[in-house]
Amino acid sequence: MIVHDASRQFDNGLLAVDGLSISIPAGQFLALLGPSGCGKSTLLRMIAGLDRPTRGRVDVSAGGVGYVFQDAHLLPWRNVIDNVALPLELARLPANQRDDRAAEALNLVGLSEFGAMYPAQLSGGMRMRVSLARALVGRPNLLLLDEPFAALDEITRQQLDDLLRGLWQRTGMTILFVTHSIQEAAYLADRVIVLSRRPARVMLDHVMAMPSSRDAALRTSAAFAAEARLLFQALERGERL
Amino acid sequence: MNVRRLAYLAWPPLTVFAGVFAMLEVAVRAGWIASFLVPRPSDAIKSLGANFAEIAGAFMATASAALRGFGLSVAVGVVVAVALSSGGLVRRAFYPYAVFFQTVPIIAVAPLLVIWFGFDQGAVIASAFVASVFPVIANTLSGLMSVDAPLVDLFRLYRARPLAALVKLRLPFALPQIFTGLRVAAGLSVIGAIVGEFITGSGLGGLIQVARQQRKIDKVFATLLVTSLLGVAMFAMINAVARLTLRHWHASERTEGA
Amino acid sequence: MIRIFPLLLCLIVFVGCSKEEAPVTLQLNWKPEPQFGGFYAADYAKHGLNVDVRPGGAGTPTIELLGAGKVPYAVVSADEIPKAREQGIKVVALFAVYQKHPQGVITQSKRGLKSLEDLFKTPGTLAMESGLPYSDFLKNKYGFDKLKIVPSPFGDLSVLRTDDTYAMQCFVTSEPLAAKKDGLDVTTFLIADSGYNPYATVLATTEEYLRANNEQVRLMVEAVAGGWRKYLEDPAATNTLMHGLNPTMDTATFADSAAAQKPLIENDETKQNGIGVMTIERWQTLIDQLKTLKVITTDIMAADCFKPLVP
Repeated sequence: MIVHDASRQFDNGLLAVDGLSISIPAGQFLALLGPSGCGKSTLLRMIAGLDRPTRGRVDVSAGGVGYVFQDAHLLPWRNVIDNVALPLELARLPANQRDDRAAEALNLVGLSEFGAMYPAQLSGGMRMRVSLARALVGRPNLLLLDEPFAALDEITRQQLDDLLRGLWQRTGMTILFVTHSIQEAAYLADRVIVLSRRPARVMLDHVMAMPSSRDAALRTSAAFAAEARLLFQALERGERL
Repeated sequence: MNVRRLAYLAWPPLTVFAGVFAMLEVAVRAGWIASFLVPRPSDAIKSLGANFAEIAGAFMATASAALRGFGLSVAVGVVVAVALSSGGLVRRAFYPYAVFFQTVPIIAVAPLLVIWFGFDQGAVIASAFVASVFPVIANTLSGLMSVDAPLVDLFRLYRARPLAALVKLRLPFALPQIFTGLRVAAGLSVIGAIVGEFITGSGLGGLIQVARQQRKIDKVFATLLVTSLLGVAMFAMINAVARLTLRHWHASERTEGA
Repeated sequence: MIRIFPLLLCLIVFVGCSKEEAPVTLQLNWKPEPQFGGFYAADYAKHGLNVDVRPGGAGTPTIELLGAGKVPYAVVSADEIPKAREQGIKVVALFAVYQKHPQGVITQSKRGLKSLEDLFKTPGTLAMESGLPYSDFLKNKYGFDKLKIVPSPFGDLSVLRTDDTYAMQCFVTSEPLAAKKDGLDVTTFLIADSGYNPYATVLATTEEYLRANNEQVRLMVEAVAGGWRKYLEDPAATNTLMHGLNPTMDTATFADSAAAQKPLIENDETKQNGIGVMTIERWQTLIDQLKTLKVITTDIMAADCFKPLVP
């Protein structure tokens, strides 16, 4: 997937992204780290096809895209399994296939027994897991996540981080994870791109020097702290531009 | 709706009713309020009993017209709102005319309706419709337009067809707002029916007119009581349907009142 | 020095105000039309009165306004008075403008109907105020089975214009003339000709007010009688005044209407005893009729219903 010299200027004159070029090989877990309002969400939307660059090009290879928003955004009038099955329903898959695939996706996120419940009955963390299952049900090659765990408490967040990384290792999909948390970027990704404040420019493009199997202990290790400091310094430089 | 919950909802307003009833009864008996202006509540009830068949028959006529006018408002109102929600130009071109239905005084329109529909139920139904259609349009449109942007994005991401987006996303999302519109429209449809009946002479509206001309103030109030019961009944019905339909949306047991 | 000025001003205003009497209201039961001509023509000031003649409209509740003490004088129909007295509103008639009741039924001429009896025998629609005694009278005399009864449109001729099976209540001084002006060919039947003839456009007050203001009531009736004598002789100036208050009727119709109502206002009785005179015999007839129609159920004394004109 390639972002080639892409720019996005809005009707009100706001320049969110300015001449950004990023190349992402298949199967990579890439974190986009940047301050609030820097344009990283806009970039993600362009990659998802929800928005088009005013200049430049975004090329995404075929194979389906999954998207996880900042809030779970489940349809409150549908139960969990029907929420997960929504993408397949919109693609007009027959009902029995939908049910099987939805159950499979729910299983991946560990919520198999909750299919009949309604979003109002679930906790924030559980709803986010359903949202994740919904993004996965189409078996996408590319999974885009826009600060998905930011509203959750620390424990839940770390649980979901582990869940996500586990899923990535099992499926081998390409993951693009937008965040403003240095901790999260460092913990989750193979490669981190640090963006400056608006309009977003690349401040740092860094392959993480970390083991591929990660756990809670890693968060307090010296190596982790070092990587985190690198990212922090790049972020700071980006703020001062 | 179990018995306990019914009792919980019913006893406060019924107590207020009993209290006001008793106070009015005393006031009129003692002569503090002239009996030709406001009847003794007990006389109004007696009149209700004495004229029960007549009032019940009129009630059926008014209820039938109000319900049909209301049904028409729901059907037309939702369709119009969906059409208006489809594009900015369409909305800017036609919405002002929908506002016309809100602002025109129904009492001025009713005689025209009678000329077009004759002195029949048709005119009363039309009157109920004109009086009640706008809140349905306005609230439905508001609901349809206020869908969360990320949900709209979600549907675009999966390349949903516009019809699928309407049926699976926008209409369900708009339901709470639609019900708000229906609650308002219900009461207005009864008012519209009564106003129409002032002109056609049928139903509860006609009965109120004649009783007023006959100076039977107890009968007037008996009929007014029945009329307001009609409004309350429609309102309660809509609330029941809303609760049933929307029961999964919110943290269940903690939903208070109607 | 400066502070005295506002004080002086208040004093002047106060003295100025108290010279004038608070106006006394005469509430009409319809818009200003020739049926009220005499009330507008009257010279109240000459009799030391300050009268505010207030127009009404469809359904103005003049009896209730009298009963609630909201107005001291109002215009009512004679057949409202016995029922009101039965309900405890002690209304007293003072002056009757119409000796012959102008209530009628109007319908398109091309129907070829010759009388009210014909009308009630022919299928069609009749618009009238169904709660009023005259309606009960018609029902009793002719029967409503051939007709669909609907509410009165209060002067609106639109349905009459388009529907040739339609008849509506009218005041013979009003709607027929408007219809003719519109080019509509109509026939009018007077209810009075069928035997129901209460006094109409009656000036009334309450017993209570009469007792407390005997002298003022006497002066009021004198002023009104004078106003009617003047109006009957020369209505032009008063018509212009009323047309200004009620532009829905044009000046030509005002003139025609004033002329049309004269035979209903003047008769042998009035020539002998004065405009507005009422007799106990006619009141008794009315009471008997209302009893037959079950509009009243108790014995109302005819003598209580009106105060005879002092000649």
